[in-house]
Amino acid sequence: MAARKSTTQKKPAAPATSALMLPALHESTTSSGLTVLAAERGPLPLVAMRLVVRAGSAVDPKDKHGLADFTARLMRRGTLKRSADEIDEAIEFVGASFSVGSNEDLLSFFVTTPAEHFPAMIGLLGEILREPSFPEREVALARERTLAGFANDLDDPSTIADRAFTRALWGGHPYGHDIGGSSAHVRTFTREDLVRFHGERLGPKVALLSVVGAVDPKLVLDEAEKAFAGWTGGPEVAPRIAELGKMASGRILLVDKPDQTQTQVRIGGPGFRMGHPDYFPSTAMNNVLGGGFTSRLVNEVRVERGLTYGISSYFDMLNVGGVFAISTFTQTERTREMIDVTLAEVAKVREGGIGAAELKKAQRYLAGLYPMRTETNESVASIIGDIRVHALGDDWVEKFRERLHAVKPRQTLEVAAKYLFPNPPLIVLLGKASAVKKQLKGLGSVKVVPASDYE
Amino acid sequence: MAKAPAKPAARKADPVLLSLFDVQEATLPNGLRVRLLANHQTPVVSLYTFFQVGSRNERPGITGISHLFEHMMFNGAKKYGPKKFDQTLESNGGRSNAYTSTDMTVYYEDFASDALETVLDLESDRMRSLRINDVALQSERQVVLEERRVRVDNDITGIMDEELGTLVWKAHAYRWPVIGWQKDIENISRQDCEQYFRTYYAPNNAVLYIVGDIDPKKTLALVRKYYGDIPKGPTPAPVLDAEPEQKGERRAEVRHPAQSPALMIAYRGPAARDEDTLLLDVIQYALAKGEGSRLTKKLVYDTQLAVSVGVDWGWRVDPGIILFFLELKPDSDPRKVEEALYAELERLVAEGLTERELQKAKNNLRADHLRELATNSGRAHAMGHYEALLGSWRDGLSLPSVYAAATNEQVRAVAAKYFAPERRSVVTVRPTAPVDRAGDEAAVDAKEVA
Repeated sequence: MAARKSTTQKKPAAPATSALMLPALHESTTSSGLTVLAAERGPLPLVAMRLVVRAGSAVDPKDKHGLADFTARLMRRGTLKRSADEIDEAIEFVGASFSVGSNEDLLSFFVTTPAEHFPAMIGLLGEILREPSFPEREVALARERTLAGFANDLDDPSTIADRAFTRALWGGHPYGHDIGGSSAHVRTFTREDLVRFHGERLGPKVALLSVVGAVDPKLVLDEAEKAFAGWTGGPEVAPRIAELGKMASGRILLVDKPDQTQTQVRIGGPGFRMGHPDYFPSTAMNNVLGGGFTSRLVNEVRVERGLTYGISSYFDMLNVGGVFAISTFTQTERTREMIDVTLAEVAKVREGGIGAAELKKAQRYLAGLYPMRTETNESVASIIGDIRVHALGDDWVEKFRERLHAVKPRQTLEVAAKYLFPNPPLIVLLGKASAVKKQLKGLGSVKVVPASDYE
Repeated sequence: MAKAPAKPAARKADPVLLSLFDVQEATLPNGLRVRLLANHQTPVVSLYTFFQVGSRNERPGITGISHLFEHMMFNGAKKYGPKKFDQTLESNGGRSNAYTSTDMTVYYEDFASDALETVLDLESDRMRSLRINDVALQSERQVVLEERRVRVDNDITGIMDEELGTLVWKAHAYRWPVIGWQKDIENISRQDCEQYFRTYYAPNNAVLYIVGDIDPKKTLALVRKYYGDIPKGPTPAPVLDAEPEQKGERRAEVRHPAQSPALMIAYRGPAARDEDTLLLDVIQYALAKGEGSRLTKKLVYDTQLAVSVGVDWGWRVDPGIILFFLELKPDSDPRKVEEALYAELERLVAEGLTERELQKAKNNLRADHLRELATNSGRAHAMGHYEALLGSWRDGLSLPSVYAAATNEQVRAVAAKYFAPERRSVVTVRPTAPVDRAGDEAAVDAKEVA
């Protein structure tokens, strides 16, 4: 380590930290057509698995929003061989865990297990994927719990604001409904809906299994063959999601929740899809605007004015499109000030770009912390799945920091002009409408709706 | 009476854990304790600084100061002035945050390993020479009030939690929320903050944990270089636990425009160092960890009385609470749900766990313990947590063996001792009608008003 005076001010431009590599990947395909990627990694006696299926909420049937997520969650509630209780017992007795994640593009089934129970757990994962039985009673119970959950969500201002924002932003596009659906749709779900969705949408050709941890890759491939032998169903190729049309802009949706002392604020417009060439310049630019803790937005809105506890801007990237958005909240009386200050900061970057020193700082920040994404078996298993599903290239992790450091100031100016609301954004507010609405003069058309619209 | 669990001296460290914790320890002449652990798997490092101060050390009038002060620690010291802490850290490939609890305040950084010296310079600068000014205090006060609005005033769990604290504790500082009462936050002065800094942020009240891609020997030399000249402070005054014995069940009701009723039920538990604590960990897992756990299976799946049930047994320096939180359906009768829960707790006292349930809890405690240690940050935090609450981080390594030795007889005895009605406090949320919207001009219709 260099002497004290040279460490805090002057640093070499390139990162001095060692190269970042994923553990070696062993790839194979089971006889049923499932791609399996295995990577051995210690020292803890644990193994993580992620099975992804290209059957996210974007393929929910038109009148059955939430079905993908609901089906995935019900799969562990019974198979042809075991009841829900028996499955729970098999997983939980040995200290393993099983969870489901859904987004617009993907369903993900995550299993973590002590290494000695890996064969039993991958066997169970296969059973759950291949032959869920969807018992009538379990479906009814899950439906009722989900509906109660929707009702209780009305008490969570942040959740409702996000839901309103998603719907308003994407409109009729398959990404434009909540992943969990809505109470009107979930209420209609039947066992047959789940059986049909599972048979039509989940299958080995649109799935990928990654296994990372203290297990020999050869054993992984052998056990995967056994666990997924005979799995049929699902499409031959990944579903095509419609291209994105025009996004909502230039208007304000005010969701009324009269008991609030605070306004939830969401501002958004078009971004780009996962794997787009604008990714690196946009990530660096956004870090300066609203990414890290020293971003311009945090500085102006939180540090200088005490308007909020948290504010961030982000690019949300999905398979066929994405958004650029800002998320924050403030006290009811200062809602307008919050919006004005925020939009002014965005405009400054859109028009003037970011400085060379700011860019360098963002590059060093993002590159320095990037290796943390490969710290655990779970995160390595996840990143492997994402790389393949979104065709990011197998050198994605290895080259990440190099590509980030290659971003030039001119590129950040270009992406700022392109994505930082060149057209007036959509603004969604949730709070006490009677106090908020009068602050909104001159900002665009305002539509007021009750929070109960989002149950 | 059940036999007490093994005494700490008899605890044996888990061999897998022992192999992961080749820790270098040191104490500087000014009292600063340092724990260093190398892990070269990824080129990153986590640094944790634990200060033994939290809302437990506060008094009425300045409640919330530990947390407000935590915010002030990011606002400038002698060498790195206003805004320089995070700017310097981020531009060197690192990030920082902090949290305050009832018992401690914890600062942490994750960073690229070549930023180690910069991070030590930054952290030691603010321990040596923090500068507190009125402008920053005023701004942070607003931020914290906004944080309070989002976490308490506009959050039903936050409202219930605050109500529960004042119900359970009459005399102890655990009675107020960590974030503090609004009026107190508004009135804390610069002088209060300065005094807080001098009292609690001296090196002898802190422990550093550095885990990751480091050379322990060189790192210790750097710690000496940057922290060695910070003077020792006075020993902070001990906190007196004057809490009287609870003589019977306590109840409070919150009327709120919620969609559904909700229940929060607390039983007074032991302190972290009490040996019953680890048996309560086992009980917590058996009752509510996983879909097949006792309460989830019974209340959520079999009788369908609750949407979800959670049990939180969080270790604290002084005796804490075993907390049950139940999310209900809109038309639920909370009293009925309460009765079902009590019946399950009585069954636990009468029958204990099955041998399989006991073994399952132990298996899960061990697996979770290993998962917690998968990252540098997890290892550093775990060491700090165990040292602050158990007295030594080494006691953490023996937890699996203590859990493994737990018997059903002990489980029953501990359940009988703590799940007694006279140790219980109950907060119920009763939904009121939504706020009256008549005459509310913005909400009278849902049409576009341009």
